[in-house]
Order: sequence, then C-alpha cells, then structure tokens
Amino acid sequence: MIEIHNLTKHFEKIKAVDEVSVEIREKTVFGLIGTNGAGKSTVLRMIAGVIKPDEGTVAVDNMPVYDNVEAKKKLFFIADEPYFFANSNARTMERYYSGIYEAFDREEFYQYLEKFNLDKTRKIGTFSKGMKKQLALLLGICAHTKYILCDETFDGLDPVMRQGIKSIFAKEMEERGLTPVIASHNLRELEDICDHVGLLHKGGVLLSKDLEDMKCNIQKVQCVFCAVEDELKALNGLEVLKKEQRGSLSTITVRSTREEVEARFATVDTIFYEVLPLSLEEIFISETEVVGYDIKKLILG
Amino acid sequence: MTSKNSFLASCRENHKRRIWVWIVAVLSQLLLYGGMMMIYLSRIRGYQANGDYRDPAGFQEAMCRAARDALAFSDNLYGTVFILAAIIGMQGFSYLYDRRKVDMYHSVPVSKDKRFAVVYLNGIFIYLAANLSGMILGTLIAVSQRAVNADVLANAGLAFVWNLFLFLAVYHMMILAVMLTGNRFVTVCVFLAFVFYELCLSSQIGSLKRIFFKTYSEYYISTEPKLSVVYDCTLNIWNIKNASDAADAAAIAMPIVAKWILIAAAFLALAYLAYKKRPSEAAGRAMAYPFMEPVFKVAVAVPVALLAGGLVYDTSYQNEMLQMAGMLAGGLIFCAASEVLFDFDIRSVFKHLPSSGIALVGILAIFSVFKWDVFGYDSYVPAQNKVESIAISADGYYDSYWDENRPYFEKSQFEKENMFLTDTEPVLALAKAAEGADPETMGDGRYVQILYRLKSGRQVARAIATDYDDPGTEELLNRIFRTDAFKKGVFQGITDETSYAALEGIIYTNGPARAVIPVEEAGRLREAWIKDMEQFDFTLVRHNRPCGILYFNYKNYNQRQWYVYDSFENTVSALKELKAYYPMELDAADVESVTVTCYHNELTQDPEARFRGDPGYELYRDAVAAETYAEYADDTDYTVTETFYDEEQIAQILPHIYCTWGIDAPWGRYKDLDENYSVQVVFKRDTAYPYQRDSYYFEYSFYAGQAPDFVVEATAYTGESE
Repeated sequence: MIEIHNLTKHFEKIKAVDEVSVEIREKTVFGLIGTNGAGKSTVLRMIAGVIKPDEGTVAVDNMPVYDNVEAKKKLFFIADEPYFFANSNARTMERYYSGIYEAFDREEFYQYLEKFNLDKTRKIGTFSKGMKKQLALLLGICAHTKYILCDETFDGLDPVMRQGIKSIFAKEMEERGLTPVIASHNLRELEDICDHVGLLHKGGVLLSKDLEDMKCNIQKVQCVFCAVEDELKALNGLEVLKKEQRGSLSTITVRSTREEVEARFATVDTIFYEVLPLSLEEIFISETEVVGYDIKKLILG
Repeated sequence: MTSKNSFLASCRENHKRRIWVWIVAVLSQLLLYGGMMMIYLSRIRGYQANGDYRDPAGFQEAMCRAARDALAFSDNLYGTVFILAAIIGMQGFSYLYDRRKVDMYHSVPVSKDKRFAVVYLNGIFIYLAANLSGMILGTLIAVSQRAVNADVLANAGLAFVWNLFLFLAVYHMMILAVMLTGNRFVTVCVFLAFVFYELCLSSQIGSLKRIFFKTYSEYYISTEPKLSVVYDCTLNIWNIKNASDAADAAAIAMPIVAKWILIAAAFLALAYLAYKKRPSEAAGRAMAYPFMEPVFKVAVAVPVALLAGGLVYDTSYQNEMLQMAGMLAGGLIFCAASEVLFDFDIRSVFKHLPSSGIALVGILAIFSVFKWDVFGYDSYVPAQNKVESIAISADGYYDSYWDENRPYFEKSQFEKENMFLTDTEPVLALAKAAEGADPETMGDGRYVQILYRLKSGRQVARAIATDYDDPGTEELLNRIFRTDAFKKGVFQGITDETSYAALEGIIYTNGPARAVIPVEEAGRLREAWIKDMEQFDFTLVRHNRPCGILYFNYKNYNQRQWYVYDSFENTVSALKELKAYYPMELDAADVESVTVTCYHNELTQDPEARFRGDPGYELYRDAVAAETYAEYADDTDYTVTETFYDEEQIAQILPHIYCTWGIDAPWGRYKDLDENYSVQVVFKRDTAYPYQRDSYYFEYSFYAGQAPDFVVEATAYTGESE
C-alpha cells in the first residue's frame, strides 16, 4: 500500500500540494484527477521519490520512498513526457531498464512490442507521441514492479491502444497484483479504468473514494409522482444531492443504495419511476457540488 | 557473478550515454600528443638539415628535449586538460538540468550516492584513458624517432601527475558549478567565477592598493592569488618546463600539486554536499538553491565592479572619481544582468533591488576604504612589543642570490629567509618618521622596504619613503646596518655555506685592472673581508665609494661579489700581499689619453640659461623662449668633447675621477659623481698596468665638482655644435 500523509510541497512561493493524504490500496487502479496545476504530477513525483516533500510522508509498503532504493524497486514512474536516451530505440531502453529492474521480463517486453506493432530497432525520436507513451507503458509493465505510476500517460492514446493497455493492466493485476496509479486531467479517461479516484484541486484533495462505493451510494431516479405528497414521502429521510424538474418529470440524485431507493419509491404512488446508472462524470458533479465546487469548471471544461 | 545492478554494470551503462565525450577526449589527446610530437621532432630534424647541430650528441639532446616538451609540460596540454575537465564535468551531471531526465533517473531504484559515484568516476576514467592514449601515442612516436631517454619519461610521468590533479581540481569546480545551477549557461558563468574569482579580485585589490596606498609594497608580500589554479599554471609552467631535470621540475611542481589536491578535495566535498541537498525541481532553474542567487550576485559584482573601475581609471588618465563612477556602473550593470540571467526575463532587470543595493554599498565601501585609507594602512606602524623581528631592504643595493638548491632567487627572498632584526626600534622610528613623507620633496628620497614579523605569526609589508640625505635617517640606518642580522640578511658572502669545491676562480678588480687570485686564498680573503665588515654601516657606504670588488666565481656561472673599501685594511692588506691590489687612482705614466665629454646639462635642462645674461633678455623673453624651445625641440647637441694627451694634465685629472666601468657604489649618493661629464681613459699599449686588454677604453666620472678648471674651460659650450 502507498500511504500519503499530509503531503505538502512548495515551488518557491507557490504551494503546489497542500496537505494531501491518500491511501492507495494494492491491486486497485487509482485515478488521480485534477485540472492542470492541481498538483497531480507533483504528487506522483513525490510518490516516485523524485522530489522530496516539504512536509508529510510518502510510504510505499511502509518504506519511505525518497532516496530509498528498496522502496523504488517497487515503483515504475512514467512521467508526462517520458525521457528516452538520445538516438535510442526500444531495445536500448530495454537494456537500460533490464539492468536496473531485476525482475524486468525481456521476453514479455518484445512480445508486447510485436503486439503493439512497435519496431524495436526504430529510433524512438521518430515515434509519435502516442507510440512513445505506449513504449513507456510497456517498459513500465515489463519492469514487473508492484506499482506503476502513470502521469497523463493515457492522454493521447487511441481507444484501441487504451483498451490494449487496460487489458494488460487487468492481466498483470490478476497475475501479480500490479497497482497502477494513473493521473489525468480528464475524468472521462479514467472512468472505465479506475477502481478508486482521488480528486485534486489547488493542491488539496477534494475527495477520494472507491468508484464502486460512489456508484452504489448515489442513485439517479427519474419519475413522475402522482401527487406532491408522494414525492415528499418518497424523499423523506433521503439525502437529495440534486433535483431537476421538467414538466411533471423529476430527475433526482440521492445518496443511497439502489435497494433502498427502489424500496422507498415502491411505497408511493408514481406514474413512472426508474433508477438509472450514473456516469462517473455525473457522480463527480454531484459529489463536488455538495462541497461547493462546480466540477464542470474544474475538469470537464 | 555480477548482479544486474552492479556498480560496474552501471558504469558501463553510463559510458554508453557519454560516447561523444569519449570521442572528444580521446581525439583531442591523440591529436595533441601525436601531433605535437611529430611537429616538434620534425622541427629539430629541419634544424639538423640546416646544419644547426655540429655533433650527433647535440642533435640527440635536442630531439629528447623536443620530445620532453611534447610529452610533458606545455601550455597546449594544460589548456586542453582544463577544457576537457570542464566538458566532462558538465556533461556527466547535465541530466540535472532536464526535468524529464531527472524524473527518469531519480525515480529508478539507484541510490543518489551510487549515481554520483558512477558519473564521477567515469569522468575520471574518460580523462585517464584519453590522456594515457595520447601519451602512449606520443611516446611511441618519440621511440620510433629515438628521442626518448630517462629524463623524457620522468618528465612525462611528472606531467601526468600534474595534469591529473589539474584535471581533478577543475573537474570538481565544474561539478560544483553544475550542482549549484540549473542550466548550462549559468553553470558556465558560475564555473568561470570559481576559476577566475580570486585571480580577478586579488589583481584588482592590488591595483587599488597601488593607486591609493603610498606605503603599499609587493617587494616582500605580493597581492597574488593563493588558490587560483589558472594562476598556478601560468606562473609555473615555464619554470617547470625549463627546469634542468625531472627532479628539479618535481621540486617546483609537487608543492603546487599538493595544493591542488586540497583544492580538489574541498570542491569535491562541496559538490557532493550540494548534490545530496540539491532538489530535483531545480532542473531548468538558473540557480539550484534560490538563496545562492543574491550570494552569487553580490559576490561577483564586487570584482566585476573593481575591474570596471580599474578600466575607467586607466583610460581616464587616472581620474579617481571617474573610477568610482565606473565601479558603481559596473556593479549596477552586473546586478541587473544577473537578475535577467536568473529569470531569463529582461523585465527582471530591477528585481531584488535590496541585494543590488547591498552590492553597490559594498563596492562603495571598498572604494572608500582605499580612497580615504579608512583603516590607516599608510600610517601603520606596529607597536614594538608586538614585533618579533624585521627584515628591511634599503634602496641602493642589488645583487643576485643563489645557493646549491636554487640557481637564482630574488633579493627579497634572501632577506626574508635570512634577515631577522630583533633590534626593531630604529626601523620603527624610521617608519614613524616616514608617515606622510613624499620622496619627491626630499634631498635623496628613497624607499625602504620593511617586513614586520609580528609575534602573532602575521607578516606585514610596507614601503616607506626616507631621505638618505637626512642626518637623522642616516643615524637610524647606521644602527640598522651595523647589526649582524642586517649584514647576514644582505650579504650572502657572510653566511655563505657553499663549498669551496665549487669555486672556480677569484678576481679582484678596480675597474680596468683585473687580478686573478688562486682559489686556495678564498678562506683567507673571506676571513679578512668579514673582519672588515665589522666597520660596515650606512655612513661608510653612503660617503665612500668602493675601491674595488672581489668576485668569487663558482661553477654554473654562479658568482658572489664582495665590495672592498679603502678602509677595509685587512682585505686590502691581504690583496696587497697577493699582489692583487690596484688602487682606484691611476698613475698618469700608464695612461695614453683622457677624453672628457661635457653634456652641458644646464643648457638642455634650462634652455634659456645661456641667454639670461644677454642684454635685452628681459625685454624679448617670450621671443627668446620660443626660439630656445624651438631649438630644444630640434635636439640641439650641446655636448663638447676634449681629449687630453699631456701627461701633466692627465695627472691633474686622475685624482678626481672614479671608474664607473663595472663598479658601482651600493647606497652611494647619486650626487657624488658629476653627471655633466663622462671620462674615457685609454691606457698606453706598452704599460705594465694589468688593464683588461680586450677593452680599448674605460669609463670614468668626475667626483662632483672636481673637474679641473682647464677641463671645464676646454669643454665649455661656445654655441657651435660639434
């Protein structure tokens, strides 16, 4: 587990990360979401042991990570702009990383290169941005570290490649308990991949929750009540996060389980009601609006 | 089995990232050593073709000398080592400038210590491999040309050590510069500051002292950089190159190398500390540590401002106020440029004004300290109870010094090592009397150099102006000159421990006569001379001119000279017994002719003088002045020469002349001899007087005011140029 406690980092007078505390559990895909400048990269670089926090601690499997080789052996960090040696090719990079990461699987690496159609002898400098990110991801996966930290790595990947990487992640998680930590400014990029999401804003954590928990605990109900009393009776005792009315059709977002909502609505007279699945975006809108933020301005643009 | 992550594997991997540095280093060394060797040897072969070498041994020696120059110490080599050290140092750690590289290197499981060690040691390995490759190539070429002997190899080995530690010192400076900065340009600036800071500062401080302090002297202690590697190289490379053999070269080189080891160690320690503390986010910033920005700005602004002020002072015909303005302008411009450099933004020109203000105040304070002598530099005279001993050098006596270990060294060095005046009171009294003195207003103003050795261990040097014509000064100098400590600190002949085995000959001369004395008489003469030196004091040398000089000639063209005065009864008596004494006054019977030239300085120094008695001079003074100055500008020759052959006239002249050919008078009065006349004495060919036959005539001067009337009359200026 990666434990981040009260992490704070200043860059000169700018507070880039402000008392961030998050726990990243093993075998989950952790999404770190936030706008540009929210502090995602800084948090990831501190987790990777690249930069030293001003305050707070980062522990990887109970080991401090900064300048700690043993902790770093468990991590592979893919920066937003991964660096490859000048005039190098995939083979050169493999040789470098296989010299550093003891568990690096060279055979697997070359198999993945073929699958992803990346030429091992072609100079990386001639690769597209997306190809470079694929290569960085493959190097990271094949390093066989317990954690892989991806900073904006999925941005720019085409859907097919994203799917390919996702399936590799799934396989690696299944087989050896890989824990990917993925930072992105785009919520939609993470929706179909993350188990747990942390939302960063202005250096602090707005929320950090399991996606399943969020999905299970927030329900959107579309219904047409027979009478106002029915509506009052149905919503009584429920935490209503949002309510929209178009004619007689009400769209209500409430914090509760699906079963409880269905049980409530079954006891009142309705002309029509349906409990609908929420997108991650809708969940975030609801969650952040509760605490006074307009998520659309933060990450949806 | 070597683990995947072993140190050697890391070194190998690191070398792959440094291919271009390898190429530059190896090529430069191969071309330099190989090229220089071929050029140098070819040059000698060219000389041989021209017939410059008479025998094969001479040619062989020249070939070995050329091979030594190519393999060992040369400006080209140390310049290349310097540049290579800078390139290797910067390239090795340049990943710290790039955030992408830092993200990769600092996230992988390699400890910071290990990465530093790998990059650092690989840099040294690159240099060593390149340097040795070059040396081996040069040696092979020299061997193929039969231009190698043991001295060549020994010198090459010594140069290898010299260059290695020069490399390390510069390499470590560059590494520290990289650690303190975040991009290449600023690194180069900081590196240049490390390399040239002390050199620039000390030269500028020295300039300020020369400009503003009347008592400043570099005779005993010079304001020179102590830690500057560049200064060490430029100052010593010539001496080392010209040392007689490798052992002599080592004697000069090794103390410097020892100093470089300390410098290199200090810079390495600082570089490592800066590396350990360096934040990764410093990549791309001007300075890795923000607190270093004002430190760098203020620290470098000072020598830059002093340099600017010095330039303005020199180009403005020594205008001190313009110098101050130049210093302030230089400091201000540097501060502004630093801020632009730190931010890479021209709009930052007026940023951080407080630190710029501190720099300017500091610059102004430095100028004030010198201009107004705030700390009383010129009035410094230590309290007597704080002085351990003193060495002084009173203007008026010069000699060359040597010993068995040193072919030549300065008089100041000999005095520092041998003169320990413990009766300090007369020196301190001289110094106190000299406060505010101006030698221009004195009868015979001379500088006396003083080295105060304080009980605290500190040494202070000053130059004071004294009037040799002043009786009070004469008395104080007498007290100093009479001491054994003074004599031992000036005359190497008194304390000479040199074996007489090295003595090749003894000569006594009064100018024209030259008597050869057997070397076996050296001890006797020395004993007599030392006994006579008991009467030595300032009055003796001030008011008496030597009647001759004893030269002791040693092997390797080394020589000691002992002045003999008429009052040196023991020496004169010994010389007489050895039939080697010839008085200064010549016998007219030996002299063929005396030619007297009168320069009529009174006319050239005061061109109007000859018209002053003319009627109407006052009336037409301006016209006269114009005419005389026009005449003066035409280089009118006022000299009048007359040769006297008459023995009677010659006999009247000889008691009044003193030989100036090969004889000087230490601490003598300039005014003792008449500068208006020169006298040439020609001996008769058939005389038995042992004058030196290879000279046709001998130069003499009249004692001041002693030219006989008939000579004055015969050489009077009549208006007709000769």
